[in-house]
Amino acid sequence: MSNYIPGQPLTAVVERIEILKLRQGDNLILGFSIGGGIDQDPGQNPFTNDKTDKGIYVTRITEKGPAEVAGLREGDKIMQVNGWDMTMVTHDQARKRLTKKNQDVVRLLVTRRSLEEAVKHSMGPCLKP
Amino acid sequence: MPVDTFANMEEKLWILEDLNMMYIRQIALSLQDSDIQKKIDHEIRMRDGACKLLAACSQKDQTLEAAKSLQTCSTRIMAYMSELQRMKEAQVMQKVTRRSSDAGPMEDRLPCKGKVAISDLRIPLMWKDTEYFKNKGELHRCAVFCLLQLGGEIFDTDMVIVDRTLTDICFDNTIVFNEASPGFDLRVELYSCCSEDDYSAGSTPRKLASKLSSSLGRSAGKKLRAAMEPGPCSPVSNGGAGPLLLPVPSVPGPKYHLLAHTSLSLLHVQDSFRTHDLTISGNEECSYWLPLYGSVCCRLAAQPHCMTQQMMSGCLKVKQLGGDPQSWKKVYAVLKGTSLFCYHQQEDVEANVEPAFTIAVNKETRIRASEKDPQSKVQNIGISNQYGGEEVTHSLTTDSREDTHRWMEAFWQHFYDMSQWKQCCDDLMKIELPSPRKPAPVTPKQGSLYHEMVIESSNDLGTTVSDILARRMQELELRSHLGTSPTWMSVFEENSPKSTVRPRPCTPRLSGHSPCTPHRPPRSPLSPHRCPPLSLLSSDASLTSDSDSHGSTSPCSHRHGWPEPSSNLPLGSSSPCRPRPRTLSLDAKLSTLRGRAYGGGGTLQCSCQPHPSSLLTPFPVASCSPRSQRSAQATLSCSSSTSSNSSSNSEGSHSLESSEGAPFSRPSPARRSLRNLKARLDPRNWLQSQV
Repeated sequence: MSNYIPGQPLTAVVERIEILKLRQGDNLILGFSIGGGIDQDPGQNPFTNDKTDKGIYVTRITEKGPAEVAGLREGDKIMQVNGWDMTMVTHDQARKRLTKKNQDVVRLLVTRRSLEEAVKHSMGPCLKP
Repeated sequence: MPVDTFANMEEKLWILEDLNMMYIRQIALSLQDSDIQKKIDHEIRMRDGACKLLAACSQKDQTLEAAKSLQTCSTRIMAYMSELQRMKEAQVMQKVTRRSSDAGPMEDRLPCKGKVAISDLRIPLMWKDTEYFKNKGELHRCAVFCLLQLGGEIFDTDMVIVDRTLTDICFDNTIVFNEASPGFDLRVELYSCCSEDDYSAGSTPRKLASKLSSSLGRSAGKKLRAAMEPGPCSPVSNGGAGPLLLPVPSVPGPKYHLLAHTSLSLLHVQDSFRTHDLTISGNEECSYWLPLYGSVCCRLAAQPHCMTQQMMSGCLKVKQLGGDPQSWKKVYAVLKGTSLFCYHQQEDVEANVEPAFTIAVNKETRIRASEKDPQSKVQNIGISNQYGGEEVTHSLTTDSREDTHRWMEAFWQHFYDMSQWKQCCDDLMKIELPSPRKPAPVTPKQGSLYHEMVIESSNDLGTTVSDILARRMQELELRSHLGTSPTWMSVFEENSPKSTVRPRPCTPRLSGHSPCTPHRPPRSPLSPHRCPPLSLLSSDASLTSDSDSHGSTSPCSHRHGWPEPSSNLPLGSSSPCRPRPRTLSLDAKLSTLRGRAYGGGGTLQCSCQPHPSSLLTPFPVASCSPRSQRSAQATLSCSSSTSSNSSSNSEGSHSLESSEGAPFSRPSPARRSLRNLKARLDPRNWLQSQV
């Protein structure tokens, strides 16, 4: 996404997404797959132009699953899950934060390029020199 | 004589308490309010029960829980009594300043009440890196919980044991307060109590105790002294009650002290997670001190009743302004939330049928009474909204003037409520009550030994490790595959192999699932389970155990202790978090182990039925990386790391119980799992996991 300088606060335009987990037998599923993490190779992330971005991205969405219903889209970068930061976590930490058994709802903050652009466009006329 | 004076003091306290109770009863009687009286009585009984329990029980966590109940009951009693006093004062004030009501009833509009819910409390800690990473110093543990108070309601969260292996204190509870006014003040208090085993009387085995006492460091000694004496961090946390209110009975046992607090109000309410500042009391010298970062993160949501309940309902006639005068529609209208729902009939409301149409009633809406309709001599009510730049007005009319008046009154009240509850009325915030705790899922019996090993979360690692190793040895012996014992057994070679393998009567600690001791719910994070210092025995593999952030049920994915002794895989490069031993120094642990081994192998018990199927020579070592610090009873599913891998491409990757024990029972899946493991650890991959 935007250039990220370690140690500096990060700002992003985010969308709030609330996913109600679906119970399948003994499991609670969300219906999407994640990729990324600080322990993964960011160069292989197809969803970002910034190839140093080690954030957690949504790589696949199950059709009609809880995530799609809630508004999550492929390529979204997950910034926060239930108050926990996801911009600097390992892949497994990210997976764990999403799959806690005692939680029926996960509240995500996600960002995507279209959001940033939408904001830029709406602010367009104001950016006159 | 001191004994006499002490007895005197106690007597005086009891007398005072009796007097106070009489006073309370008098007040309650005069106020004709038996409700609070009952509540106080109930809390006093609970408190007495907690005191008795505290005196009677010997187990550490039971005493901590009892002390927590004691603290909660005391706080509740305080709150009820102050409320009682306030009511009494109000009554007295009323009698004194009786205002004449000829000025007309001063109807102060009161805003509606609402539900306020706080959940997902998380308090970050800030350990020094020497403590956290390098494990320096003794492991200082505290038991903490939160008290949440709003109005007259006080709730406590579950108790959490905290030590330096945690980065955050997490409370899973969702607390809902039902009758909150918009000007509420939600007070969050964090109580903490030092929970060192060494300081409890009589529970330490003598040998250990003498060893420790002779080797207490400077800071430990200071803390010990501080815990013994009241000192500046005095345990009196009842808000400095004067002699009028009940003194807290002095009970031996752990005492909780206020560590931090904060107050939340309407402006902190939001539909998402926010961070708030904490005010910290106490300092580093106190025994109950924890290095708090200074903030608390939580979700504070509110549902005012005007958003969830029907504020007004009745029959109306509606028409859109500008339409022809005959187009009045008869509807049954319900005012709720940000809309006026108009149904064809009253029955539709219960039947959940969609309303015929809906008129928005929100902050932008303007409502006014219009001119009297010449025909019916009743005022119309006009509701105006802006829909995309256009103003649309609906007219309402009722059958009688009283009805019109009541509707107007309802609208005014509704607007007032919305102005008081502010951001809570923009949209309905969701409050989820946590689903009732399901019992830990019973693992279907797998073929592998590892699925059925249960490690009691004993603090004595020596027993645990020896158990596991003994079991392994037994298996190996039974199988007689190996001519020589595996390398790691050399640690115990002082002990004759016979004694290590002597099968003891199996204590029924075997279970497919977590809890053995019934009072430990599977989710409460318990005393940190320490990794065995067996990292010495494989080349460079540093043991990691997963640190689950909080509260997840016991099984979480495991890593092999060491896939192959020759490989230099630094484990944990891709897996979580912090590869570090969490114990006393390695030497100390080993010497303790040796000591135990010397002690006649008395602790080496076969505590689970050996399974015939599972041993695999390429993996001679018990991947007995015991549980991470979070889980109560560790169900060892060592294969789970790979199975979580393999199942990560199938559904429900986090349910590790469903992992097949297969990888350990057949060589090829084992190799596959090893490959998987290598794939996971290879940083050149970009893993994807399904959630």
